[in-house]
Amino acid sequence: MKILVADDSRVMRQIVIRTLRQAGYDDHDIVEAEDGRDALDKVASESPDLVLSDWNMPNMTGIECLQALRSSGSVIPFGFVTSEGSPEMREKAANAGALFLIAKPFTEDTFKEHLDGVIA
Amino acid sequence: MPIPGELPDDVVSSWVDVVGPWTGSVVLTTGAQTAADLTRALLGDHAPELLDHEDVADAFGEIANVVGGNVKAALPGPSGLSLPDVGSAPAVRNPADVCRVDVLWRGQPLTISVQGALPALPAAQPHNEGTAALPENGASL
Repeated sequence: MKILVADDSRVMRQIVIRTLRQAGYDDHDIVEAEDGRDALDKVASESPDLVLSDWNMPNMTGIECLQALRSSGSVIPFGFVTSEGSPEMREKAANAGALFLIAKPFTEDTFKEHLDGVIA
Repeated sequence: MPIPGELPDDVVSSWVDVVGPWTGSVVLTTGAQTAADLTRALLGDHAPELLDHEDVADAFGEIANVVGGNVKAALPGPSGLSLPDVGSAPAVRNPADVCRVDVLWRGQPLTISVQGALPALPAAQPHNEGTAALPENGASL
């Protein structure tokens, strides 16, 4: 499957991609996006099967990207990987249609916990 | 617990601002060499032979984002979190509202300062849902 990783930090995108590999999800195509706007465009142009997105990004935040996707009728599986894991943020993410929220810092076990069943 | 060492002369800071019922900055400060070493540690196998400033700003800023996001979660909300900034540490505005922790990473000193801002900082960019309205300048927080 194809996974879109959206984060404005290039270093963090690499860490997310490395952690996916370490968690055993190493046989997938990865597409990178550098903010929410880029992610929205790439969902349309690249047709990924899953979006893993940061929350706080310039131009368009992760939650705005998710809301735009859902408003346009997209049901693509979407999860957050963000430094903010408070109950309020988790609730907001779930209400907008996110499958999960992984808080940074994370380990490969955190990834497995949330992604087993999501990634084939 | 070892006693943290003195920071070298050549330091760099990264920080994020929290704007809400508590408004201030979460600031990490360490030696320039330690910031570069942290960057290499985060990049792992992907670290280039020569790091440029952008790599260090990205990595060290992201560490401030992660620490700041976790501090924010422990504070009363709703509040917004700014994108990270890297450079010279923002001034302490209210010495009575500073919580500073000195730690060692691989034997090198790094300080984390959670510093309240009075008067309030300018509003963080609305990167975040739930950014609280700022109180009037000088209002008590």
